Amino acid sequence: MADKSFAATPAASPAAAPTPAPSAFTPYLDAVANLFHPVAGPVMNTYAGFHGWKESMGLVQPGTVENLTREIQQVHLANWLFEGARADVAKVVSANPAFQLTHSFQLTPGAGGRYNFGAIFANANSFLQGGIDGQGTVTMRANQTWSPSDVTKLQGQLVSEAGRSMIQIEHDHLGPHYSINVKSMNPGLLDGTGIHIASFFHSITPRLSLGLETVFQRPQPSILETATSYFAKLTSLPTAAPSAAAALSPAGQPTPAPFVPAWTATAQLQATGNLQATYWQKLSDKVDVALDFQTVFQPASMLGPAKREAVTTLGAKYDFRMATFRGQVDSNWKVGMLLEQRFTPAFAFLVGGEIDHAKNTSKFGVGIMIESSTMTQEEMIAAGMLQPV
Amino acid sequence: MPFSDETKDRFNAAMGVLKTIVTVGWIPAVIYIGYRNSYPQPSLIKLITPLA
Repeated sequence: MADKSFAATPAASPAAAPTPAPSAFTPYLDAVANLFHPVAGPVMNTYAGFHGWKESMGLVQPGTVENLTREIQQVHLANWLFEGARADVAKVVSANPAFQLTHSFQLTPGAGGRYNFGAIFANANSFLQGGIDGQGTVTMRANQTWSPSDVTKLQGQLVSEAGRSMIQIEHDHLGPHYSINVKSMNPGLLDGTGIHIASFFHSITPRLSLGLETVFQRPQPSILETATSYFAKLTSLPTAAPSAAAALSPAGQPTPAPFVPAWTATAQLQATGNLQATYWQKLSDKVDVALDFQTVFQPASMLGPAKREAVTTLGAKYDFRMATFRGQVDSNWKVGMLLEQRFTPAFAFLVGGEIDHAKNTSKFGVGIMIESSTMTQEEMIAAGMLQPV
Repeated sequence: MPFSDETKDRFNAAMGVLKTIVTVGWIPAVIYIGYRNSYPQPSLIKLITPLA
């Protein structure tokens, strides 16, 4: 009897994973797995076949919907320009895992002085950030990477005044050729209220990816409003594997990889009916150029009369060894620039400004960034931050 | 899902307490986690003194 059961199980499980060391339960587990094999087998084989078909088309991981215009945001000034004076002092307590305490002082004309304290901790898989400003508003961020394809992010702004706080939780799943993102803002756990956003982005060809994002707004349990936006992203041909470039030359030094110009064009049809189209190109490994076209179509409402306008922004970013320069021109006759000059690894100076020629106004900002470290020179060499002298 | 008003009140009160705890305790928690996990482990005074 024992011989029969042993003989039956190994032959009938050809698709089993490499078997672990046999234990007393092995024949039982094999029997259970074989019981589900007729059901699970076709499903897994279909999925494997579908995946193989997609791989044979050379599809790539398209990135998330949130990062669709990330290169544009790195080049254009909207996220970087500030007005007035600014000083950022960062105290690096540890390099790996990264732990920093930041003190930020801002002096803006019309808004007075502002102080912000922040703490950042970054691990291989976790990222924690907390900040508090002069008014007592606590901002918090927590990211956890469960695996190379799954990230959960939590973000919140907590105000002591009731009803003004915001909390957002989102989960990113990066499949081999697609990205799924589910986000929820101020979720009401009991009644499902809040704003829920789901997005799906799939690579159709190695260069083209299409996706959509749906916003479910539920201010009360009985009201549900949805709005869908559509996205498309076209990139230049994916670069060839860098293995050839990484091969050592006879001198023993790795040959530098040849620069392959890359560009990305995206288009978004937003739920409000507005269209946004962007184009980003890396002209050389130190120069980025970005062009952004956004329409603003608004029906007549309490915010003002009906508008049908469009704005085009053209910007460039130049990376120097110790400096970064961003320049931007707008179709609304606005010209802006931002220079970040690093004098020593611990000290950087920022100056930026924007002139609106149509309205004849301007705004300028200057700032300094100081990074100090608690580690002595020996500790920094031990942590790999400095070369030993 | 039908919840009684009393359950909703209790839940909202608990959420309020949780919100206060997180508002007050998040930054100290981040600083403590960073202090314990940072390598080399700094002394407490190094966290407070700026520029040193």
